[in-house]
Amino acid sequence: MSKIKHFIQQSWLLIISSFFFGLLIAIASAAWSPRIEQNRINKLNTLAGRLIPEANDFVPLENLGVVIEVTSLKGDKKKVDVYKAMAGEKCFGWTINAVGSGFQDKIELVIAVDKDFKTIAGFDVLASNETPGFGDKIKEDKFQGQFKGKAVATLELIKSGEAKDNKILAISGATISSEAVVKIINHYMKEVKEEMQRKGLLGNDSE
Amino acid sequence: MTQNSESTVGIYKQTLLAGLWRENPVFRLLLGMCPTLAVTAAVKPALTMGLSVIFVLLCSNIVVSLMRNFLKPHLRILMFTLTIATFVTIADLFLKAFQPEMSETLGPYVPLIIVNCIIICRAEACASKNNLIVSVIDALGMGVGFTLTLCVLAGIRELLSTGTIFEIQIFALAEKGGWFVPWAAMSMPVGAFITLGLLLGLVNVVCKRKA
Repeated sequence: MSKIKHFIQQSWLLIISSFFFGLLIAIASAAWSPRIEQNRINKLNTLAGRLIPEANDFVPLENLGVVIEVTSLKGDKKKVDVYKAMAGEKCFGWTINAVGSGFQDKIELVIAVDKDFKTIAGFDVLASNETPGFGDKIKEDKFQGQFKGKAVATLELIKSGEAKDNKILAISGATISSEAVVKIINHYMKEVKEEMQRKGLLGNDSE
Repeated sequence: MTQNSESTVGIYKQTLLAGLWRENPVFRLLLGMCPTLAVTAAVKPALTMGLSVIFVLLCSNIVVSLMRNFLKPHLRILMFTLTIATFVTIADLFLKAFQPEMSETLGPYVPLIIVNCIIICRAEACASKNNLIVSVIDALGMGVGFTLTLCVLAGIRELLSTGTIFEIQIFALAEKGGWFVPWAAMSMPVGAFITLGLLLGLVNVVCKRKA
């Protein structure tokens, strides 16, 4: 009995404050989490909307009852967020959230493709931590513009020359960052396309 | 009576000024180096970080000061950490909800305020031994001192790396027909170390001259 008394004497403040602080965090989280979620959706929609300007509604495939799971660049099976770009009833393409390693931290991209999954409509950076002045040029139009209209899953990085056909010109001084972007895009385009064909969301190429 | 109240005011004033200069957390105590180096590439994130630290410091000093008579010596650090972690989580959620872009720029450095030595140092050295008013003044002095230091450092780095302050163009860029060629190195970690080192040296020289 005296042990319990001793325990309570020593720790009553800790126990009460734990409850009180827990309550405070719960209130803050309950009050703000819808807003935080909305911020995330807004950011994604703005980025995706810039890539496929014809569409005004980006529907997550989960809402349509489909879950796309592919092998990530690290080799494990992971769920990928794929959105159907719609305007009214019409489908204008797809956007895919992809992730892979960059130069010093992971790079998260939004990649947009046309509705047949044949050409890339463009990409944008959701989150990255590349070197300022070098690697972070992957956020600039000059680099991103090269991807528009390229055929899916065939990109090749070159260090000099002209960026025609399936070639992407690397950012000078940031080959690793450029390579990372090309690798992420090629990998996810191939994997997601195959998975979506298996699920019957796209026609087969041979058709 | 008058003498008494005068000396109290004197203590308040001293406490406030200590954080701003004599015991400035960054320049004199060398505390909180991690955010000082990491988020000072531009003024805006530095200011946001400073304000978050002021909020957490103020709340934790108030709570610790109020519970100082009930603290068990061997459980006090646990109580401090619990208090600080609570307010840091709230600050982090607030930034995510209302300043999403800034929250992304600051990344992990907002949750890392939990291990910022300034806050636990003030809880231990001041708030757990002093009344509420002194603790609040101490938190404001230290918090504002930290924020100002961060902003000075960030101002220098932002100006030299992009020619802007608060994203307002100060130096005309060479690529737009001006004269200033940005020093990209200043926005990288190397720029943070060099600027902080030079400022620390400068502050030391000034203090030695005074003494």
